[in-house]
Amino acid sequence: MVSFIRFMLNNGLKVIVNHDDSTPLTAFNLLYNSGSRLEDPEMTGMAHLLEHLMFTGTEEVPEYDLPLQIAGGENNAFTGNDVTDYYITIPSDNIETAFWLESDRMRGLKLTQKSLDIQRNVVIEEFRQRYLNQPYGDAMLILRPLAYRIHPYRWPTIGMNVSHLENATLERVKDFYLSHYTPGNAILAISGNTPPELAHDLAVKWFGRIEEKDGAQIGIPQEPEQKEERIMSAERDVPSDALFMAWHICGRNSSDFRALDLITDILAGGESGRLYNRLVRKRNIFSEINTWLTSDTDPGLAILSGKLMKGKSFDQAVRAVEEVFDDLKNKKLPLKETNKVKNKYEASTLLSNTSALNKAMSLSIFELLGDAGMINSEVSLYREISRESIMDTAIKYFTTSNRSTLFYKSKQKT
Amino acid sequence: MDRPGNKQPPVFPVEPGKIPEAELLHLSNNVPVYLIPSATEDIVRLEFIFSAGQVKEDLPLLASFTSMMLTEGSKSHTSEKLLSKIDYYGAFINLYADNDRAGLIVVTLNRHASKIIELVREILFGPVFPLKELNNLIQKRVQNYRISRERVQTLAMERFFESVFGSKHPYGRQIRETDFRKITPALLKDFHSKYYTPDNMSVIAAGRISRNLTSMLDHTFGNLPSHSIYIEEPVSLLRGKATRKILVPKPGAVQNSVRIGSPSINKRHPDYQGLKIVNTILGGYFGSRLMKNLREEKGLTYGIRSGVSSLDLTGFKVISAEVNRENTRNAIEEIYREIHILQNLPVEVKELNVIRNFMLGEMVRMFDGPFARAESFKALHLFGLDTGYYYRFAEKIKSINSDEIIELARTYYKTEDLYEIIAGIP
Repeated sequence: MVSFIRFMLNNGLKVIVNHDDSTPLTAFNLLYNSGSRLEDPEMTGMAHLLEHLMFTGTEEVPEYDLPLQIAGGENNAFTGNDVTDYYITIPSDNIETAFWLESDRMRGLKLTQKSLDIQRNVVIEEFRQRYLNQPYGDAMLILRPLAYRIHPYRWPTIGMNVSHLENATLERVKDFYLSHYTPGNAILAISGNTPPELAHDLAVKWFGRIEEKDGAQIGIPQEPEQKEERIMSAERDVPSDALFMAWHICGRNSSDFRALDLITDILAGGESGRLYNRLVRKRNIFSEINTWLTSDTDPGLAILSGKLMKGKSFDQAVRAVEEVFDDLKNKKLPLKETNKVKNKYEASTLLSNTSALNKAMSLSIFELLGDAGMINSEVSLYREISRESIMDTAIKYFTTSNRSTLFYKSKQKT
Repeated sequence: MDRPGNKQPPVFPVEPGKIPEAELLHLSNNVPVYLIPSATEDIVRLEFIFSAGQVKEDLPLLASFTSMMLTEGSKSHTSEKLLSKIDYYGAFINLYADNDRAGLIVVTLNRHASKIIELVREILFGPVFPLKELNNLIQKRVQNYRISRERVQTLAMERFFESVFGSKHPYGRQIRETDFRKITPALLKDFHSKYYTPDNMSVIAAGRISRNLTSMLDHTFGNLPSHSIYIEEPVSLLRGKATRKILVPKPGAVQNSVRIGSPSINKRHPDYQGLKIVNTILGGYFGSRLMKNLREEKGLTYGIRSGVSSLDLTGFKVISAEVNRENTRNAIEEIYREIHILQNLPVEVKELNVIRNFMLGEMVRMFDGPFARAESFKALHLFGLDTGYYYRFAEKIKSINSDEIIELARTYYKTEDLYEIIAGIP
């Protein structure tokens, strides 16, 4: 059980505090409801580029990291399709430094052409390192626009391509910052050895005076239903063929999401998952295989990725995958197997809640989804899902017409 | 502009404080068990450690394949059964084999601990190494091996270890595709019977430790016989290569991977703590000189870091970065320039103050929660050190001065000792 208090400042900032005195640290997690789905399709990568620029200083604090390090703190950030998240862990005595630094860069950022030019290069190197210079690294760059025709999820957070980053202007980054980094668009969660009364007072002191601003209302084009299967091939200099599939699913907040989450666990949760067990261990068709959900706010994707064993054809691979899905849709699930994935969900929740930082992150994400209390209630909601509804959910989403398939072919002939 | 409430708040000194000691018990057969209790969620993490790492290998891959095959079937369970049971109880299991050690980490809800401990015994002490599963694993690993060799990072790191420790020693030798075909069930059984033994094992338990955990452990592992047969340790030569600048070609690379470093002292050496501090200044944290220079000022790389690592027999330090082809030479020159500055100019008080507080903050994080404490405990235990090490480290962080830093940088970062590996396109 994670207990917490919750309040909202006059400017709209939501604050959640979990007191945990078993640690000498406090975790401070500030989440902005701002991700790559808000970007202009002509200039993608903006949310993530801004995340980099958030560390390049303000009028008050020319260097963000320095005072934090002096206070013994550590920080990082990540950008997703839906959110950008900034987090700090710091010895609890110095928690006020975190409030000072984060409120300062919410109040105003000193964006300069010089720092834009430098961070643009850093991000381009990141693009190369993660997507272009890794075997199979560009698969998602191909799969996303295959599955999404109009929704901004069709590009990854790093950006659609390097030229968008090269063309990014200071003015556009500023606009993005001013539109989305407002108190009413943010959720702050604190977990650790800071009493709730103190956290409350510090929140009021540091964030309370930041002006309320209307965040930009951006209409996000919603993806129309996919009516027939989409297939694409790519050929790359990689050692083995790989198969990628994506199915449209519901948004994170829909009640189907939990059943889908359990389905991916039945299929690929650990080595006893069906896909691994049948297609890797028993039939030797894939050398590795995995499925996961993108867990997006708007309707996201269930993705499957697998590397084919030498000598196996894409036909064989697709058929083998389909057999596993057909089983799930047609044969009654063993009770033991559903209990297994529910137990696993409970254990991973408990495990995650042993860390102050994980708690702070979960609290803010759940609050964004509607209620921080989900940190405690989800386990029993997962428990309630019936075997029938898991099967129904599989039938509903894992259809051929709802699927996009990428045949990622090896150019190497060895 | 009027900015009330915008002034920097006071900063209190960062103090790692008192480090709780682990409690030591022995099972009936003398296996040491270290307890790190904490009032946390109702889960416990158990780590079973064996001196069964690569350093014990006569042939490459023995340690890692023995480890990976432990869950591929036991005397009474098929692999599927074994893993389904573990998953059923919601436990997380992780097998590893590194340079010096191999082991198993399991995290379980306390209410399932007794069943999980039984399964762990089967995994560790009852594997049968079935041929079919082994052949499948070999095929899979060969495929993964080929994929990993497409990465410049892997190519650079492998060549670095080979250069620094020599191609004869398990720390340095490179794995070839032909090595996979040499692995047989008999070889793995032999390796397993020599090194996965109670007299070669220790246990670290952390989390909410129930009253009967130790009796469960004793019941399950305390009756395993120790066999005190004499095992001849493999003797191999630990010696670096003469060539210090190496290019590993990788056609089509979009970035080059750079590694610069050398063999080094390990934790048991009195200079190690000072060296850790020097390393932090150079490239050991986000605000380090290398990060500032190459990333934040020049935008040459997404990230650059330097690290110092301890192995049982030796240690190494290495600076790593992925850089754009055209910028490679420039980046390398900047790395040498930063080393040169560290060896010749005193670190200013302001920077040293940042380093001191940041590193003390890191020490606080190292003891945040029972699982972090278990890791920190293990990091010393494996080197025969006790918590006194951390108190001395904290003292060293607070007291080190700029003369000492120059001295350490000159001793341990001699340019002529450094190996320089580039994987990619020149």
